[in-house]
Amino acid sequence: MPTTQQPLRGRKPGDRRVRIERPHADYFRWEAPGVLVAKQKAHLERRPLARAWARIKALLIGRPIATEAELEERLSKKKALAIFSSDAISSSAYATEEILGALIIGGTAALLFSLEISIAIAALLAIVAFSYRQVCLAYPTGGGSYSVSKRNFGRNASLVAASALLIDYTLTVAVSTSSAVEQIASAVPSLAPVKVGIGVLAILLLTLGNLRGIREAGNIFALPTYLFVGTALLMIALGAYRIVVLGDAAAAPALQATADVTSQAAMAILLVRAFASGAVALTGTEAIATGVPAFKPPESRNAATTLMVMAALLATLFIGITFLAVNFGVVPDEHETVVAQVASHVYGEGSIGFYLFQTFTALLLFLAANTSFAAFPRLGAILAQDGFMPRQFAFRGDRLAFTLGIVILGLVAASLVVVAGGDTHALIPLYAVGVFIDFTISQAGMVRHWLHERSSGWRYRIAINAFGGLLTAIVAVVVTTAKAPASLAVLLLIPFLVVMMLFIRREYDKQTAELALRPEQVIGPPRRRERVIIPVPGLSRAVVQAVNFGRSLADDVRAVHVTEDADAAAAFRRDWERQIPGVPLVIVESPFRAVVQPFVAYLDVMAPAEPDLITIVVLPEYVPRHWWDRLLYNQTSNRLRQALLGRPDTVVATVPYQRENEALAAQPTR
Amino acid sequence: MPDQTTPPFKRAVLGLSGGPTDELVVRFACELARPHRAELIAMHVVEVDWRHDLAEDVSSGNVEASAILDRAEGVAERYRVSMQAELLQARDVGAALVDESTALQADAIVLGLPYRKKFGGDFAMGRTVPYVLQNAPGGVFIVREPIARSEARGGEPETAVGAGMGEADRL
Repeated sequence: MPTTQQPLRGRKPGDRRVRIERPHADYFRWEAPGVLVAKQKAHLERRPLARAWARIKALLIGRPIATEAELEERLSKKKALAIFSSDAISSSAYATEEILGALIIGGTAALLFSLEISIAIAALLAIVAFSYRQVCLAYPTGGGSYSVSKRNFGRNASLVAASALLIDYTLTVAVSTSSAVEQIASAVPSLAPVKVGIGVLAILLLTLGNLRGIREAGNIFALPTYLFVGTALLMIALGAYRIVVLGDAAAAPALQATADVTSQAAMAILLVRAFASGAVALTGTEAIATGVPAFKPPESRNAATTLMVMAALLATLFIGITFLAVNFGVVPDEHETVVAQVASHVYGEGSIGFYLFQTFTALLLFLAANTSFAAFPRLGAILAQDGFMPRQFAFRGDRLAFTLGIVILGLVAASLVVVAGGDTHALIPLYAVGVFIDFTISQAGMVRHWLHERSSGWRYRIAINAFGGLLTAIVAVVVTTAKAPASLAVLLLIPFLVVMMLFIRREYDKQTAELALRPEQVIGPPRRRERVIIPVPGLSRAVVQAVNFGRSLADDVRAVHVTEDADAAAAFRRDWERQIPGVPLVIVESPFRAVVQPFVAYLDVMAPAEPDLITIVVLPEYVPRHWWDRLLYNQTSNRLRQALLGRPDTVVATVPYQRENEALAAQPTR
Repeated sequence: MPDQTTPPFKRAVLGLSGGPTDELVVRFACELARPHRAELIAMHVVEVDWRHDLAEDVSSGNVEASAILDRAEGVAERYRVSMQAELLQARDVGAALVDESTALQADAIVLGLPYRKKFGGDFAMGRTVPYVLQNAPGGVFIVREPIARSEARGGEPETAVGAGMGEADRL
């Protein structure tokens, strides 16, 4: 309520004015009649420890951002391309190697197929990207394949898609971080013994960067992505010029024609495996469709455009690097990656351009994990909103980021890196299985979507999605088979997660049903009597305060003193009756020295539950001044509170006594 | 051409009435203040008649008066302009605005003026705006409500109008 001050004089004698203080103004502002908005000061922590933690948090992740600034936190297309595409674009650094690695089994001549395979994979990428573009436009709330399958196939299929995605996002962080650390360790071998530590530190930094909010994460992580893209495109342009214009290409090995059916079948299997291996380039394509709401308005349109740019960039880089690798006669080498060999051909071995490109590649591999940090928490939030994950996943932290999702992803990924000892090969068999299951569900969902919508061009859209779904299903089977038996762990983990999410939803549904009010129900005034019972350890100001509070609640107030010492109890009763007359005291002697159980038993027997009677147990509690005081005081109160939790028709009220009122303590108690 | 580098003011007092021009005044002042990081002081004066002592808390009115300033702060927050707010009680609104802005060393006063006519059709300015125009030592900006908006509103505002919130400013 405003308060006035002494009048101030104006220029003329009659022109006096009074300034009116508004005590609420620092903390709240009235937005509308009956609606107060809390200002930043109202959010400040009051306890010293909590204040110190808030300061550390502000230092690490930045000052809190108001919800109304959410729109400003959204991503522009440029930043979104860097954040959501780092995973997909980074695959261009190793996808060619995956193809060559699979084909080399058939001899160096088989490597000639790598360009055709990369073009086929780029075609598949175009189909998948086209499908997810439609997902962005049709499902602007995000969630990607989860939303598509929820709408078109129902709950269980959507949870399979969500589980597959959650697993793959987690593995992306672990695999890409381990891979980047291995690159560093191969450049600086002395760091090899601490590669697990470096991996965990990198994940910690990514977690902190993302806790600062998605826009700031974009600011931090955009540059390396664009530097890689720039230097890689330059490398492809220079390399293509040398091959096409200058004729600088290695002599191609002769491919021997064979009519042997066995050999042809083996070659076909080899090509399918190479296709499946190279298809890892598609991982991360789905991330944009998951995170549509993170884009600036118009969200769907911007997300769809960014997705197409990303697909075009990835296809260009992938085909370009494969084209250079084939023409420069690059073969997979244990000591040097394929992309490094291509770079050394184009920029010159040991040149500045070569080292810069290698540095940007390593940085990008680190940041590939960032896509998962953008997509995983958002998917977690959507699942939490639908009741399949704990609700905390949908809460936004100080910086409007989905804090719990980011922290959980960081923790699980770091644990995987530790368990695998920072070894990429230990994690790779688990990787990319989930994402192809997800692609397949999404494509199938879009087929159903078009069948239902029948908008213009639905027939050709169905054909594309059905063909894409068939291909991704084949890749899913091949990838799972090729990576078995480790990949089967993912197949087991998916149903486990689905069951867990269904369990969470069932619990939330049960709670909602229990707490629901019928719409026609009108709540009248209470018709219950109250009975107050106060456990008293002795006579103190805290007890007096609790008794006074209890008397303000009901006429039926009694104190219960549980003791093992009958003589001391008699003395206590004399003091009680003299100092607090009118409040009956019950002494419960406890020969076995317990306090909590005899008190609860007293409630059960002497104050049993009655239909129209509510029992209020008032606990006097001493408020500690320091954190270490908590170890010294209120232990019995805490145990009593725990013991009474869930007791029918019983309310537990705590009456805190502030030690700060020491001046008051010097005065006599009223 | 106006000089873009010289700020129109360094510190301005915004006279707010709780009327239809408040938001226009705050937006206008924020637009001017933002590029130069000028200070804004939102001010609302509750006119106390001679039946009451000036120091008497006209509390029921002051809660509404506080809300006027709070809403202005909300607009300024969206513009990311720093704004203080001050609530006054006075016998005469114009005098209080001029005296307080002088005390605060403000170099401008921004006032709102709803578009309205007296019975007979003459444009009405009330009493506060002319007083401030005559007596303010610094610059004075008047933001007049667009006629179309006044017509859409349907004439006389329910709350007091202009910077003059007192009876004298009512028609």
